[in-house]
Order: sequence, then structure tokens, then C-alpha cells
Amino acid sequence: MSTATAAATHDDHEHVHYTTTGLDNRKIAVWAFIGSECMLFASLISTYLIYKGRSRVGPFPHETWTSPTGEVFKPILNIPVTSASTFVLLMSSLFMVMALAAVENRGKPGYGGLKGNSKFWLATTALAGTVFLGFQAFEFTSFVHEGLKITTNLFGSSFFTLTGFHGAHVTVGVLWLLTLLAIDMKRGLTPKDTLVVDICALYWHFVDVVWIAIFTLIYLIQ
Amino acid sequence: MTTYASSAPEQTGIWSWITTVDHKRIGTMYLFTALFFFLFGGLEAGLMRVQLARPNQAIISAEMYNQLFTMHGTTMVFLAIMPLSAAFFNYLIPLQIGARDVAFPRLNAFSYWVYLLGAVFITFPIFFHIAPNGGWFGYAPLTTNQFSPGANIDFWVMGLQILGISSLAAAFNFITTIINMRAPGMTLMRMPMFTWMSFIVQFLLILAFPAITIALVFLLFDRFFGTAFYDIAKGADPLLWQHLFWVFGHPEVYILILPAFGLVSEILPTFSKKPLFGYNVMVYSGIMIGFLGFGVWAHHMFAVGMGAVADTLFSMATMLIGIPTGVKIFNWIATLWGGQIRFVTAMKFAIGLVGLFTIGGISGVMHSSPPADLQQTDTYFVVAHFHYVLFGGSMMGIFGGIYFYFPKMFGRYMDEALGTWHFWLTFIAMNLTFFPMHFSGLLGMPRRIYTYDAGQGWEKFNLASSLGTLLLIIATAIFVINFFKSRKGGLPAPQDAWGAATLEWSIPSPPPEYNFARIPIVTSRSPLWDLKHPEMSSGAAHADADPVQVASANAVPLREETEHHTAAELGIPMPLNTVKPLLTALGIVIMFSGLMFIHLDHFALAMAVSLSGAALLIGSLYAWLFSPLE
Amino acid sequence: MPGKHLRRLPAALVVAVAALALAACGDQYPNTTFTHLTDLNTATDALWNRLLLLGTIVFVFVEVLLLVTIFKFRKRPNSPAPKQVHGHALLEITWTAIPALILVMIAIPTVKTIFKTQAKAAAGSLQVEVIGHQWWWEFRYPELGVTTANELYIPAGRTVNFALKTKDVLHSFWTPNLGGKRDLISNKTNYLWYTPNADIADQVFNGFCTEYCGSSHANMHFHVYTVSEGDFGKWVDHQKTGALGSPIAATPVMAASMPGMPGMKRDAKVAAAPAVNTAVNTAVNTAVNTAVNTAVNMAADSGYVFPVGKIPAHTIPSTPLPTGEREVKFDDTLLPNGNAVAGRELITSMANLGKAPCLTCHIVKGEMTMMGLTDNSASGPNLTHFGTRHTIAGGIYRSDAKILARWLKNSRLMKPGSIMPTLGTGELDPQSGKKLAAGLDDRQIADIVAYLMTLK
Repeated sequence: MSTATAAATHDDHEHVHYTTTGLDNRKIAVWAFIGSECMLFASLISTYLIYKGRSRVGPFPHETWTSPTGEVFKPILNIPVTSASTFVLLMSSLFMVMALAAVENRGKPGYGGLKGNSKFWLATTALAGTVFLGFQAFEFTSFVHEGLKITTNLFGSSFFTLTGFHGAHVTVGVLWLLTLLAIDMKRGLTPKDTLVVDICALYWHFVDVVWIAIFTLIYLIQ
Repeated sequence: MTTYASSAPEQTGIWSWITTVDHKRIGTMYLFTALFFFLFGGLEAGLMRVQLARPNQAIISAEMYNQLFTMHGTTMVFLAIMPLSAAFFNYLIPLQIGARDVAFPRLNAFSYWVYLLGAVFITFPIFFHIAPNGGWFGYAPLTTNQFSPGANIDFWVMGLQILGISSLAAAFNFITTIINMRAPGMTLMRMPMFTWMSFIVQFLLILAFPAITIALVFLLFDRFFGTAFYDIAKGADPLLWQHLFWVFGHPEVYILILPAFGLVSEILPTFSKKPLFGYNVMVYSGIMIGFLGFGVWAHHMFAVGMGAVADTLFSMATMLIGIPTGVKIFNWIATLWGGQIRFVTAMKFAIGLVGLFTIGGISGVMHSSPPADLQQTDTYFVVAHFHYVLFGGSMMGIFGGIYFYFPKMFGRYMDEALGTWHFWLTFIAMNLTFFPMHFSGLLGMPRRIYTYDAGQGWEKFNLASSLGTLLLIIATAIFVINFFKSRKGGLPAPQDAWGAATLEWSIPSPPPEYNFARIPIVTSRSPLWDLKHPEMSSGAAHADADPVQVASANAVPLREETEHHTAAELGIPMPLNTVKPLLTALGIVIMFSGLMFIHLDHFALAMAVSLSGAALLIGSLYAWLFSPLE
Repeated sequence: MPGKHLRRLPAALVVAVAALALAACGDQYPNTTFTHLTDLNTATDALWNRLLLLGTIVFVFVEVLLLVTIFKFRKRPNSPAPKQVHGHALLEITWTAIPALILVMIAIPTVKTIFKTQAKAAAGSLQVEVIGHQWWWEFRYPELGVTTANELYIPAGRTVNFALKTKDVLHSFWTPNLGGKRDLISNKTNYLWYTPNADIADQVFNGFCTEYCGSSHANMHFHVYTVSEGDFGKWVDHQKTGALGSPIAATPVMAASMPGMPGMKRDAKVAAAPAVNTAVNTAVNTAVNTAVNTAVNMAADSGYVFPVGKIPAHTIPSTPLPTGEREVKFDDTLLPNGNAVAGRELITSMANLGKAPCLTCHIVKGEMTMMGLTDNSASGPNLTHFGTRHTIAGGIYRSDAKILARWLKNSRLMKPGSIMPTLGTGELDPQSGKKLAAGLDDRQIADIVAYLMTLK
């Protein structure tokens, strides 16, 4: 689906067309897409919450579990590490705002230097996203080492699927940002391209907001 | 006025269809494909009714029967009725709102190709006796590997996933189209009722499909990667599937019926020579139905033991839906009241919907009451109920829509004599097939059984249903004959074939590729009617269009377009034909198909196929995004 | 022209529908849901009657209004141009309010009935555990120590509280005559209770699985026998015992020779019961045929079995034996000479377990059990009193030697998807597509049939 909408958002009329609302079609489509995505993540998060505490074997997110054979599994969620990755992702939203402003105000006074360097901000946003994904890869591997696989229990299945889906969304976002960066390097993004950056930013902020919900509901609330 | 011949498409040949991005051509392809699958699903039903005509028959094996009823449901819902509605969305929405195409023409082509490939993917296994066999709502844990180890359910899971992509992409497209592509003056409350109902349906689609997408992702992961979502031994709750499925499944019912309601709301006023009665209330009741539709899913689950409080809440919410639905029925009758009714075939089907859907609505209210529902659910009574809704409702509306819009699409009328035969045979056969099912259900016959014992009191009802099905197949054959005969040899139709009120009838039949030579300015709900019958339009609300919009769209007051020019002559930029949406769709299907090899223990092959599909997907997507539209 | 059709056809349809509806009240509809045989169904039917009445009123009103409208306002020559009416607020409010009112009239009794029928079952109710299996029913009476399959005995006049569970996929428990259904959900226990009227003793009711559960969903039936309290007590006393009539003491040597084998034990208490011993001795000492007859008589004396003569025709399954390529061929002349002692030897002797591993899935109380098999771990029906049952194979076949023989030989042809393996030598197993090389010959099957039929 994300590919479909990515396609929609780029289905570009080269010259300006009349629209009823005056807004670009792509902007409306991306809002509709985000509405749909809300239901997607709502389903995933609900499943996680419904299955919370139903797993028959550990490891568990917040409780220690002793297996029948006497093996002890510590609570699996590492909140300090994930807080760090959450911070990185939140910062990426700030970088995204800077990138959009740089494109929108290119050439305007006050947008020289680093502030007006859209390539830098796009790259930092993508980098922050990549760092977040790195944290996630680290988290997943350490969970597997501690005995939690996607097949282990209901917690493992719903946790990995939910966060994995989010990670996939971040990955698509990073690719999208890199594509914009490539365009910027090739021909330079101008204020005329504001919309293209804007819809990417909408998506990116949405993915961030979803992470805040996940971080609160899954990591912080015990 | 007779301009049918003047607007022959410039492009011909198979390649022009494969690469087309014209919403009318895509709508036509949807129509043909969906009609094919409608016939296919009907034949599946015919085979089932042969088996059930008499007790204790062994014409069809249990395994085959289970595949047939699963595929009949899946086919009719996902491959026939939804895409038939999509055919009308595609063809009509831009014409009704005064637009030259949909918002994203290439995405529109993509939706069609994904639908076609997904439909083939989910259908072909039946020829190898490995079709999905878990029922159209595929309840876990029956659909997990433990109880359904074969490939059958894999085809179903992935097929629905693929088809979901098509529906969602189309829904984003139409939402944008309706919000953003309306002609100046075409305010939301001036939109034709079909466009309104379609608008509501698109929101149902984008909000309901994610739930089934996730339910299917869980099932796919369970089946291929051993996750625990529906694994009973790991403590799973099988009701998770049911809740996710019906959170989608109930809005899906309105996704199937609202477009037909919209079509009927176009047909009834036209052939009564009166405007739709209570337009505003019709809009609000449609919105109410859509909104309440998200709060009633668990009425499919009264037998699962949710407890008295939940049963009560879902029961009350379900009864509430009866109110806006009833309002629609009465408003339609009021539209007819005082009119000058012409009984053309389209009108017969539309009136048929009003009469037959009422029966499905009443039986629906009957099982909104949980204690009564417990005697009815999963029996033939329910089968009767939803066929009155989906055949008596959706299909009657769609048939009416086809007869009504055929002249617009092909420039010729369908044959009225054959149409009359088609209607009456369908009407009789439909009642003969489905009405007795009320009785067999209330008299104890469970649904989804491939055989039943003699002496249970069900023989005559089943025989009647089977004879009815035979008749229904004959009726449908008449329709098919009429369709193809009229396409080439029907009476030529003028652009305003029926004396209707809305914009699509102001342009030639079939419409030129650009639809409107000049974007029209809309000042009321019935622009064409007002133009042609200024003396009768008194009382209709008129208001001028926003001058800024008029200027921006370079719009002109509505006139009847009779001349045909090419887009180039008129200087209208048209989207370029492209094969990239098809390649992208193909990439998706190949990517999913690769997974099938995991079950055959060819992990490397699976990865190879899936990755090449993904490569094709990403490659053609980028090529698509970086090539200009026009 | 079409207008004329339009007038006649619906009228004919209404007449046809009314005729069908009238016909539906006759007694040729044995599985009707419109009964007052239990408190549950009486409550449901009262609600249903209101739904039907209001539904019919709405139906007639709407359809008549529609027909009158299209007749009255059909296009005629010189009919005047219609008045362009766009709506009427008062009318629209009216037809919003009236359906709302009708729905309130439905909602109130609905809510009352929901809370009444879903309250906890009264204390002292008979507890029955219903356990769904692909594709048969297990019924346990936990307070009484009785386990049976596909045939449910309940005392008329006493509330029965069903605890519904499933061993595999979802099923649904439904006896149309007695009340609404409830699903059997994995990892969950559902409850359903009703009180059969005191005056419906000695009746039999059909039950069905109504949640699609795989290949043989259509073949998952059960039967409910309502009996008097007295008969119920006798039935329970009898069902509690070990397998009456089994030639159980005939092979004391074997029993003595393997007391220490792991996972296997004789139920000494049952084997020692005098009634059993007598029955067993009788059975062994006479010809097998006589033994069976004796056992039948004895079972009838010492316990209660629903009398064959009182079973109504519609509850006797008439499923035909499969024909054509699904036919199971069996030499029926072997059946009268089946040797119950040899049959027992076949299914209890370790030497034969590869061929006839009945006791790895089935329990015959009184016989040894394999690997500590219990009701909870047994995957097939409990066969202890198999001979007292009127049906086999999930209630789709009569319990009859000829049918049973074919069932044992190749159950998978008799019931699609059957989990019980194909046992006859040379038989094609439709699930694996392979021929069974080493299995049972017809004589051995006849012996096992003879043995099973003695399990009164």
C-alpha cells in the first residue's frame, strides 16, 4: 500500500491544474493515506494490547520469567536504549522541518549557510532514520539472544510484527528522503518543489507520531 | 443529437488497452473483468446447488464443495461486486463531477492491473482442486497450518492481500478526485447521489481494509514464519481474527451496497421525471450508515459468547442502522410518488432493488436481536438474508446501472425486450432461489454443508433453491447475450439517452477521451435538467459558482457538447499511455507468489522469485514516478 | 405491458410465500426452531413472534406502498408533467420516527431476553461438558464420571448447563428444537443452559455443528435423548461402569503377563466387578453370536438405553454408503461369525498394535489403556459403551455391523477428512493417496466389529 500511495504522491501533473480546493491532489491523497495508516497501526497496537499477558511462556516485556527448567529470563524491554532511539527519531522530525524550510525559502534572506542547505537537512533526517533502524536492529538481535523470537510467544509475535511494521515504514521513509536528496544533488530542489518535500515530511512526521504511541503504550506502560 | 459514431476512440488495439490511463477505458475493463468473475462465481453457485438439489447426493466431493462455497463468496465479494462498483466509480465519478479524469490516472491503471492479477491468482487454483477452502471469512484456527496444511489457504491469504492493495489505491484516488476535481460550482451538496455514495464508500475502504490487511498479515506470518497469533497451543485467542475480520467485514457490506444505492438514486428520478426526494436526507443517511457501520461488527459474533452487555450494545447499534436504511427506502418511494414512471429495464431493476432489499433489511433487523439470531446465525436463514441484500440489493442496482449507463459507455441502448426477459426471469429466479432458504434455515438447516440427510424437512426448499439457481443462470445468459448483441447492434443512443439531469449526459456517448471540451460551471444539483427544462426547474436551489474557481478552471456555462474534436485540436493535455503501472502490479504479484515456494521447501527459490518481484516493483515504480504524466 | 406483469407477479408471489409459511407449521419439519420444548426456546420464540409480526407489517406496508406507487404513477398518454418536489421535512421526520419506534418495540424484549437467557444457570443444574472434535462430539458429565460421544442423554425437567469447549478448531453446538446455538471457541469456555420441559421425556432431537470446521463439517451431528429422571439415573449408573459384555476376563494370562509394562494398566476395580465377570464369562462360554445377544439383554437389564422403538425416523441417520470410486467393499458373510474374543485380542494385544492401534486413541474403560491414555488425551471417541449407541461416526451412520465394518476398513472414504486412519489391508487411503500394505483383513475386521458390538 505504501508503494501505491508513494506512486500517488508523485503522479505529477507538470503544469498547474485547476483543483476544487486549491490544494494539490497529492497532498489530499497523502492525508487519506495517513488516515488509512492510522487504522493499520491501530489494528497492530490493539493486537499487542489484547495479547499482553496472554503469553504462556516467557520472556515477557516487563516481568521476570522462570522457565519450567529453571532458566531465568529477565524483563526483555530495554527502556534506556529505546529512549535514546526515540530521541533520535524525534530529532529527525526537527531536521525534516529544517529541510522543508530550506527548500521552501531557498534564496530568501536568512536562508543562507547551513540553515538553507536542504541537502544537509535531508541527509541528517535520513541519517537519523537510519540510526533509529540501527537501534532497532540492535534491539531485535539482543532480544533473540535473550531468548525472544517472533515465534516464541504471543508477546514476541505481536511485538516484532508491530515494531517491524513501524521499522518498515521508517525504511520507506529513508528511501524516500534519499530519493529527494538525490534529486537535490542532481538538479537542486527549488521552492517549486516544496510540495514534494512537504508530503514526504507529512509521512515522516506521521511515522514519528506512531512511534511515540508505540513507545508509550508498549515500552512505558507496564 | 445522435452523435454516437462521432466520438470513436482514437486509439485501438490491445496495446492501447494495456497501456491506457483513461478512466473510461479502465472502467470498461473493470466492467468486463468483473462480469466475467460474476459469471464464474455464479457457476460455482450452480455446482453447489446441483449437489444440494436432493439429499444425500455425492455429485461433488466434500473437499470440492468446501472450495466452491469459499470461492463463491470470495469471488462475488472481491472479484465481482466490488469491481463492478469500481467500474462505475471509474467511469462515472469524473463525468458526474465535471472532471477530465481521475486525480491519478496512472494509479488508476495500477489499481485495475493489481485487481486483475490478484483475481487470477486467487481463482486459478480451483482448476487444480487446491482452491481456498476456509470459507470467505476464513476463521482461525481452521486456516492455520495445523488444520489447513495445504496451499489452499495461502492462495486466499495472498490473493486477498493483493486485492486489498488494488482497493486501497483506488480509494485514495477517488477520495482525491471527489474532493479536488469537482467543476466550479459543483459543491459537495450538489454532487449526484452516486458520487456521494461512492465518496462514502471510499472512506469505508480506506478505514476498513487496514483491519483485514493486518489480520491477513498475522495469518500469513503464522503460516509461513511460525508466529503465534492464531496458534492455540501458544495461548492465542481465535476471536482476534473474528474481531479484525468483521471490523473490516461489516463496513464491507456497505462497501458492497452503497454504490448500488447510488445507482438507483440516479435511475429512479430519471424515469419518474422528478428529482430525488429528500436529497439532503439521502446524503446524511448514507453518511450515518457508513459511520454506524464501524460500530456493529460484533453482531456477526453473537454466538461466540461475548457476554450479555456486549451483545446488548452491538444489538442496539445494529438496530440503529435500520433507521437511515429505512429512510432511504421511503425516500425512494417518495421519489416515485407523483412521478411519470417509465418502466424501462433499468427502472425495473431499480424498483426491484427497493422491493427486494427491503426483505433483506427486515431479516437483517430480525437477527440484530441476539436471542433470535442464535437460532438463525450460520443457518440458511442468514444465507437468505445476505443474498437478498447482495443480490436483491447490490446486483439489482448494478444491473440497473448497466442498463442505464450502457448507452453512455457504448453509444447504444441495450435491447429492451431481452432486458425485460432478463429482469423478470432474474426477479422470479432470485426469489425462487433465496426465499425458500429462509425456511430451510429456520427449520434447522445449517449453512456450509455439502450434504444433508433425507427426511429432515428440507428437501422441497432445497429443490426450489436449485431450480431457482438454474433459472438465474438462464436469466444471466440472456443478459450476456443482450450485452454483447447491443454493444455492436443496439439502437444508437443520443448523448442524453434517458432525459437525465446530471453532467455525464451533457457530453457525447461514448464520451471523448477528454470528457468535457470546456469544464462546465455548475449552479444546481440538476444542471442538465435545468438547461433543458428551465420551465420545470423552479424550486431547485441555484447559486452561482465561486468566480475564482471559474477563472482558474477556465470554465464556461454548461452546454450540450455534440461535436467531437481531438484533445490536440482543443489543446487539452492528455496523460500519456504507459505500461509501468502494469509492470508495478506484476512486480507485486510476483513478490507474493514467491512466498508460495517456502511451503514447498524451496527457500532459495522463494527468495529469488520474491526478490525479483520486488526488484520489478521498485524499478517500475521509480520509472513511473520519474516519467511525466502528460 | 410490463405494468401488467408487475401487478400480477408480486401477488402470486405473496400467495406462494403465504402457502409456504403455512406449510412450515406442519409437523413434516422435524428440525424446526419454532418450538416451546425448553425455557430457552420458549423465550426465543416469543421474541421471534414479535419480530415476525413487525417484520411482516413493515414488509406488507412497504411492498404495497411500492406497488401502489408504481401502478398509480405509471406513465400514461397525456399524463401531466410531474411536479418537481424536492422533499418534505415533516414526511421525512415521520418516516424516521416510525422505524425508530418499531425498533424500540423490538429492542426492549430483546434486551430482557438477552439478560434472562445469558444469566448464570441455576444452582443444581446438570453439568455437561461439550467438547468439539473434528468431526464428532464428546459429552462428559464431570459430576457423574460419565464420558460418551455423539449421543447426549439429558433428564427432562432438569436444567442442563453446557460448558462448551473445543479440542481443535471452532465448532458450534446447536439443537434447533431445543434452543439457540453457542460456538465452541479454542482457549475459551462458553456456557449455554436450558431446561427441557418435564413432559418431553422419551424424545430424540437432532443436533448439528453450525460453525464451519473443515472437510466433514456437514458430517458432525449429534443426538439428544430426553429421558425421565428415573431412566436417566439408570443410564448413568450403567455408563459409569466398565465395558459390560466385553470378554474381558477371557485372557487373564495376558493381563498377568504384563502388569509392569510402562504406560499400560488394567483397571482392576472394574475388571473385578461381579456383574462384569458374569457378563464376561457368559460371553466367553457361549458362541460369539449368543454372547452378543446375551450381552445386549444383560445391558438392557442392568442399565438404560434409549429404546430403538421410540426413536423417530428423522433422527435415524440414513446416510447412504459411499458408492463408485469411494465404495468400501466388504465381505458381509463374515460378520455373523465375527469372534469377539479374537477381536478383543486384536486391539489389546501389543503384537497387533501396529495393525489395529485402536487403544492409542480410544478408551474402553475396563480394558488396558495405552500410554496412560485419559479422556483428555484420547483423540478418538470413548468406546466404553459403544454397543449402547444408536449411531457411529459423528451421528451420520446407524450403528450397524455392516456399516461399522466398512468404517473400520476405510473410514476416510466413509467420512471425508476423517482423522481415524484407514485400516483395511490393500485399501487406498484417500488422504495419503497410498495403498495400505499391512493392515487388517476382512475376517479380522469382522472380529473387531463383534467385539465392539459387545461393548454394552
